[in-house]
Amino acid sequence: MFALKRHLVHIVKYRILWMVLSAVLLIPGIVAMVYSSVTYPNHAPMKVGIDYTGGTILQYGLTHKVTNDDLAVTRKNLEEIGIENPYLQILNVNNDQQEHTKQVITSIISIRTKFIDEHSNDAEKITSALQEQFENPELIQVSSVGPTMGKELFKNSFIAVGLAFLGICIYLSIRFRFDYAIAAILGILHDVLFVCGIFSILGLVYNVQIDGLFITAILTVIGFSVHDTIVVFDRIRENLRYYAKKMSFGEIVDASVNQTLARSINTSLTTLITLGALYFFGGVTTKDFVLAMILGIAIGTYSSIFFCSMLIDFWNDKKNSPKSPAKETLAV
Amino acid sequence: MKNKIIMFWVIVLITIVSAAVILTHQPKLGLDLVGGSRLVLQAQTEGTSISKVTPEIMERLKFAIENRVNKLGVSETVVQLVGDDKLLVEIPGQQDLKQAKAFIGETAKLEFKKEEKGPNGETIWVPTGLTGKDLSKASVSTDNVGKWTISLEFNSEGAQKFYELTEQLVGKRMAIFFDEDMLSDPRVNEAIYGGNAQITGDFTYEYTERVVNLLNAGALPVPAKIVEENTVGPTLGADSIEKSKLAGIIGLGAVMLFMLLYYRLPGLIADLALIIYSLILFALFETIPVTLTLAGIAGFILSIGMAVDANILIFERTKEELRAGRNLFTAINSGFDRAFTSIFDSNMTTIITCTILYLLGTSVVKGFALTLALGVIVSMFSAITITKNFMHLIFGTGELKYPQLFGLSKDEIGKSYEAVETKREKARFGILD
Repeated sequence: MFALKRHLVHIVKYRILWMVLSAVLLIPGIVAMVYSSVTYPNHAPMKVGIDYTGGTILQYGLTHKVTNDDLAVTRKNLEEIGIENPYLQILNVNNDQQEHTKQVITSIISIRTKFIDEHSNDAEKITSALQEQFENPELIQVSSVGPTMGKELFKNSFIAVGLAFLGICIYLSIRFRFDYAIAAILGILHDVLFVCGIFSILGLVYNVQIDGLFITAILTVIGFSVHDTIVVFDRIRENLRYYAKKMSFGEIVDASVNQTLARSINTSLTTLITLGALYFFGGVTTKDFVLAMILGIAIGTYSSIFFCSMLIDFWNDKKNSPKSPAKETLAV
Repeated sequence: MKNKIIMFWVIVLITIVSAAVILTHQPKLGLDLVGGSRLVLQAQTEGTSISKVTPEIMERLKFAIENRVNKLGVSETVVQLVGDDKLLVEIPGQQDLKQAKAFIGETAKLEFKKEEKGPNGETIWVPTGLTGKDLSKASVSTDNVGKWTISLEFNSEGAQKFYELTEQLVGKRMAIFFDEDMLSDPRVNEAIYGGNAQITGDFTYEYTERVVNLLNAGALPVPAKIVEENTVGPTLGADSIEKSKLAGIIGLGAVMLFMLLYYRLPGLIADLALIIYSLILFALFETIPVTLTLAGIAGFILSIGMAVDANILIFERTKEELRAGRNLFTAINSGFDRAFTSIFDSNMTTIITCTILYLLGTSVVKGFALTLALGVIVSMFSAITITKNFMHLIFGTGELKYPQLFGLSKDEIGKSYEAVETKREKARFGILD
């Protein structure tokens, strides 16, 4: 095995710096989540879409650009025909790839209302209101979620995340050690908090709403975050086998992180390349889903390099503190 | 060496078979790509005598809904049980959804009731036990003045019940209710034999046909309500396919370019393995078959990024070994061997999360989890077996003459690192000292 002499990053030496950096990354999001929980009527830490609250979204494709003034007229028309508090949005579509289709959709109007059940004529009313105002609106997507379904999804999401944590914790305890598993789980929490925090801020600023796919993105981020952490831990485990007697634990952690640094960055880079392609060229409907993963994978790489390895070194230090407090002198 | 050549031909064979499968099969595309509707129906117990929805009731509900969905005349519809009290209905293509929804969700409970006087002399209709279940067939016909009527044919048990009922009600009125709406309330003049009955009233042809279709499809054992709907128009679906294709090609291309520039010759080998990976995975998607949805495609594209991860781990390790002055054969071997535990453990956690998503997720999430999990499993084969085989065949066993091929410079080799192995590992990697 290799004894690394030259280090690019110093985990042990700048431990306080990494703790502060993590805090700086997380605190704005946490503040936003607390603020949202207090101010939103449904007390959710993020703006939630119909998947969680129940409701109906009708999306109409239009061949011409829609202005905000048009939208104000639409809102007035809808309220006149008895649609309560419709939430309207314009999505502008990049249309260069659709030239071969006859009808080129330039804008999409998205209308969110309360849940429209099968006995209601609201959907037809909205369609005819739009037909009066615009030229050939095409109903391209209808999503409708009953009010009771949201609660169930919410419950299932919590169970899913809980089970993922448990599964990973058990697996890592078997393959590594229990304290490594805890460090990895805290790393996941770190990453999940960051992504949720950013989406909470996006919700406050741009009204971004999270949907059922968000929880999928979070679970993928969890998988990836552990994936990254394991590579570092695996190296620590391996280096401990060869150097436990020659080097301090802190030195081994530092060496391991540096040995896996190129890999950690390159893997994130390739994954971010594919996600970037999905974000810029993929479908409109999966944009937020992909954004959540981009954020999660970026922070997951950071946390596995700096946060998790810092944690296990910190614990090791605490455990051995009466015997060997000489961490600074050992670090290179 | 012989084993490696056999393995090489096995890989070639798998690639050819995969390519053949892709060329001869069509991928199964989800409703969000081809356009169509996905409905979730939930069994309702409110206002019925049933207190709990049992699996048996759900089976009957599924059967009845399936019958109705088939009557819509659309191919490739899906009716599936979801959870304890829900049914997933998928109807591809575009049709009058409003009507289809009303048709699917109608309870279609036909009941014969008899008249009784309440305490204040008002009329109360009391169930008689004769219901739509006792029918063998319903059809549309006309009566002698040309009005649309609903003809009922009872099964043998129903015919007996109907006879007993009419005998008991001679001179009284009997009412026929359809989903709590009274269709008619004729006066019974005599007991009726033979098990045939006609319901007359002011019905339009459309109404008569609908009731007959519903009666023939069977009543729902419990009412069902549409609690979730997702309808995608064909224009949006086509657009999503185009965009996903573009994103996939750009993503794959960019990753391949990165690997080539950073890892040079091994990068090229990884690129080749990545192409084979995509072929195998797509062939699997088509043979299993996995229904490709927008989220599923996102899972696939994400798995490309993860597939090269294994190669990145291996190559980084091999480079380290080369820097330590190992010859090519041992460097490649120990690179693969030492990276393996990382690859295995990290992929296992991805599979754990995918399993949870698959078990708990909605159908959209299931598609994502399945493609990602399959991708991770196939990548273990492509990134480890295929790449290792190609590396050995190309590089052989000699010293590294051209370190540039690995993106290393000559003066890096054998300088800054000191290699340590246990005896067992030395034997495994083929190191002799």
